[in-house]
Amino acid sequence: MTQAVKIIMVEDDHGHAKLIEKNIRRANISNEIKHFDEGGAALDYLFSAEILANGPLLILLDLNLPDMSGTDILEKVKADDRLKRAPVVVLTTTDDKVEIQRCYDLGCNVYITKPVDYESFAGAIRQLGLFLSVMQAPEI
Amino acid sequence: MLRRMKLPSSQSWSRFSDFVRTPSLARSVTGLLVLAFVLLLTVNISTFVMIQRTATVNDAIEHAQQMRRQSRTVLISMLNAETAQRGFLLTGRSDFLTPFEEARAEREPALAFLEEGAAADPTLRAPVAQIRRLSDAKLREMEATLALAREGRIGQAIQTVRSGEGKRYMDELRQTIDDFDAFKSARIAERTRVSERAAMMTVVMNAITGLLVLVLALLSAWMVRRYVGEIQHAREEVAAINAGLEDMVRDRTAALTRANEEIQRFAYIVSHDLRAPLVNVMGYTSELEQAGKIIERGVAEAEAEREVSADIVTAVREDMPEALGFIRASTEKMDRLINAILRLSREGRRNLLPETLDMTAMARNIADSVHHQTEAAGAQILVEALPSIESDRLSMEQILGNLIDNAVKYLDAGRPGEIVVSGEDLPGGWVVYRVADNGRGIAARDHERIFELFRRSGKQDRRGEGLGLAFVRNSVRRIGGSIDVESELGKGSTFLLKFPKRLILSEPGGVL
Repeated sequence: MTQAVKIIMVEDDHGHAKLIEKNIRRANISNEIKHFDEGGAALDYLFSAEILANGPLLILLDLNLPDMSGTDILEKVKADDRLKRAPVVVLTTTDDKVEIQRCYDLGCNVYITKPVDYESFAGAIRQLGLFLSVMQAPEI
Repeated sequence: MLRRMKLPSSQSWSRFSDFVRTPSLARSVTGLLVLAFVLLLTVNISTFVMIQRTATVNDAIEHAQQMRRQSRTVLISMLNAETAQRGFLLTGRSDFLTPFEEARAEREPALAFLEEGAAADPTLRAPVAQIRRLSDAKLREMEATLALAREGRIGQAIQTVRSGEGKRYMDELRQTIDDFDAFKSARIAERTRVSERAAMMTVVMNAITGLLVLVLALLSAWMVRRYVGEIQHAREEVAAINAGLEDMVRDRTAALTRANEEIQRFAYIVSHDLRAPLVNVMGYTSELEQAGKIIERGVAEAEAEREVSADIVTAVREDMPEALGFIRASTEKMDRLINAILRLSREGRRNLLPETLDMTAMARNIADSVHHQTEAAGAQILVEALPSIESDRLSMEQILGNLIDNAVKYLDAGRPGEIVVSGEDLPGGWVVYRVADNGRGIAARDHERIFELFRRSGKQDRRGEGLGLAFVRNSVRRIGGSIDVESELGKGSTFLLKFPKRLILSEPGGVL
């Protein structure tokens, strides 16, 4: 691992964002987390020169965003030749089968439903942390 | 018996009088036809009378002609007799007497005929009597001369002739018969004229009536034609309205389906969006609990060193955990409710798959699945033979399962539970199923409420969110059925399910 994996989190709910970050930290993941609460800003950043020049990243994506659907971002990311190698974890409240199917079709790597029950929520995030710690993110 | 006889007749009479009183086409046509028939009948009768009268007149004319002929016969016979008398007087040859006798014989029936005729007609009596008297007198005069001649007293006989008495009789007789003849001729002419006029009248009347009947027939034909036209028009209108109605029903059904889909979609989105803040509430409640534990530890450490204010201890050990407990419980409940709405909306979007279902087997399976509960409660479930149905299996299983579960759940502890599942086919392609129990029952005011989402009835001593019957009614309606409850508090409940025997979807696998 020549370079630390950067985590891009697209989540409009600040509470959720903070909870996700807290639980990732609790799983002893110290990677940089960059948070965006809008799809547009996140896309701008993803397609900026900074990202294109720098290495591996992982995207945490919420589907219900105020300005666009998370699937739009997923689609754009997976359509880009360089970004498409970045793993995408969809983390949302929607557990509709059709929606999940669509995300996997678009190339999402992991789909996690946010449970309302906090213990399972924290558990899910910590497992994600474990997953991130062993994951070898590709160079972009 | 009398009543039964009277009733229909009075009914038919009132129907008849209604028919007469109400202006209608049938009445007009019937009236016209009756009028035409009456006219034809009148013409027939008058023609018949006319023919009879003409026949009578003809008979009378014939008789009059005969009277004329007979009067002539009398005159001719008298002339023949006179000719014979003169021949005998001139020649004395007795063969001249034969024509005389013949003439006398001819006269008698002719006279008898005239007298017979005169007996029926008083105006003829006088002339006929005159003819008889004069011819008798003439005959007597001739017989007298003949008698004289036979005795040889020819001269005396000729003297008698010469006296002119016979000639006078003869002249008078001729005159009388001529008058009689003229009188009779005039009468015949008169009768012929009357007869001809009557015949003419009959012809004219026949013609007019024929014309009238023709007009009436044309009028009825025209009315019937117009009526048929109206019926045709009305029928076309009804057909058009019918077609419009079908379109309307289709439009409405489509609109309803759309509205239903929108509501399902709405429920789905809303429940998802409600979940997002709930994640925060739950998450930060847990965070607060964590923080509370740390503070509690701090308070415990402080207590070990010195006196800590009772307020702080109460706040940390009692108030905060209690508050957090309530927040957690409420949030959990809210999560369950949101999940219920989600399930309901998801159920509403599931595709239906109609198939033939053995309902008896299905009900037995469900009864077996709750066997340990019924055994524990000392209850039993009796499944009667149920009619089969062509419908969605999952829906039917959920409906029956829910109702049987409820029946087991809300038994009355005071008596051994008995649950009966029965059903039968109904006319018109419907099936009815019943789930009856002798449980605690439902108060009348709650009969509608129990089907509403999150609503429950009676003693709240069983776990539940008030979802079961809401789901059941939703499912029942989706497969085109209806559900009703008959229940009395403390006696038991019967849930009545009514379904179409065959579930037909507007589009295969579609949503009703």
